[in-house]
Amino acid sequence: MAEPDRPRPTTPGKGGTQGPSVKQQRDARRQAKLAALKREQARSKRNRVIGITTAAVAGVAVLGLVVTFVVTSGQPRQDPASIDVAGVQTFSDLTANHVTGTVDYEQTPPVGGDHAAVWMNCGVYSEPVPDENAVHDLEHGAVWFTYDPDQVTEQQIDDLRALAPDTYSVVSPYPGMETPMAVSAWGAQLTFDEVDDPAVADFVTKYWKSTNAPEPGAACTGGIDGPGRLS
Amino acid sequence: MTASRLRLVVAAVLTVAVVLVVGVAIGRLTSPTPVVPGTDSVEAGFSRDMQVHHEQAVEMSMTVRDLTDDPAVRTMAYDIATAQAQQAGQMYAWLQVWGVPQAPSEPSMTWMTRPTLDAAFAGHDHEATGEPAGGASTAPTHRPGDPMPGLASADDLRRLAALDGVEAERLWLELMIAHHQGGVEMAEAVLARSRDREVLAFATGVVTTQESEITAMEQMLADRR
Repeated sequence: MAEPDRPRPTTPGKGGTQGPSVKQQRDARRQAKLAALKREQARSKRNRVIGITTAAVAGVAVLGLVVTFVVTSGQPRQDPASIDVAGVQTFSDLTANHVTGTVDYEQTPPVGGDHAAVWMNCGVYSEPVPDENAVHDLEHGAVWFTYDPDQVTEQQIDDLRALAPDTYSVVSPYPGMETPMAVSAWGAQLTFDEVDDPAVADFVTKYWKSTNAPEPGAACTGGIDGPGRLS
Repeated sequence: MTASRLRLVVAAVLTVAVVLVVGVAIGRLTSPTPVVPGTDSVEAGFSRDMQVHHEQAVEMSMTVRDLTDDPAVRTMAYDIATAQAQQAGQMYAWLQVWGVPQAPSEPSMTWMTRPTLDAAFAGHDHEATGEPAGGASTAPTHRPGDPMPGLASADDLRRLAALDGVEAERLWLELMIAHHQGGVEMAEAVLARSRDREVLAFATGVVTTQESEITAMEQMLADRR
């Protein structure tokens, strides 16, 4: 049953002519307030997420920095054990007895083993030095530079002598070597063709007076001189 | 300041403190550099006692060089005196770097009464295998305060100083062989009780060289009988 003349409270016609009803205005205000509140909540939630994320990232960063600082600050700047000498050969289980007479060494030049009671005085020699005395120097932590006079130039000999450390080092010719030059320490040897091969400097850094030798730092003076000692 | 802001500040400060402590702890635990030995450690005990031991070898060797012209004995004495003086300096420096006193914190040889690393593991093994507990390695052969093995007495040193020539050579060789045997025993004792890289390398070298010198000196002594 229709009652066309009776205005319905919610007909748009009424609002169209008279503006929003009080209730509609109230609704709209409520909606606006609700929307504002939701925006506010969303913003605050976003801010909280940003804050927490920032704090977490900062915390992790600080943690990482502290860990890195503690780890790196406790390390030596250059641990000799971590130096890789390209092409080096190493030898273990070397005996170290004092013997008289000659020793038949497995390596040429020798890298350690039984040796004479007296050591060579460290220095530069123009004549070969006896293996048995030089090996005693290796035991005391010296490095021994050898060259085959037939395979190197005068310039290379000069460069080699200049490169050798002033102490705890023997430089001597070694006729009949397989390679032009070699540097030996107790239990380690590097053969090379060029004095400026970077592995030579690495070898000296790693093995000169190193604890690989049984008695590093024991005397390299007060022993015997061989013929042709230059310095 | 409101209560909530105060709570926030307290929380922030606590968080920063926790982060720092955790960071230092993780850093320490993952750092490849081991914590250095402390004053009561086996390493410190070895470094103090072995210095005393080495210093007497230097004294005896310098003494005998004044008592004989024999080149073999004078060379051996030179080798021992210079090597062991230098090694005593290494051990002195370790104690300095470790930040512990040179002065002993315990009676001499106490460190040698501590169980070996093997013995510590053997304790677990024996439960599994049923082998009898404790062996030669766990039974302490030294007591705290004992004299170090191989040390010469003051009387020995006086007798040496009163001799010369081959008689001085003989007594020095006898004293020095015993001294080296004691030195090897101490070096092996620390090898069995330490994981310190430097100490292990050092003690390994001491065993190698002193054993070879014992062999050489026994021959030298036999040549002088």
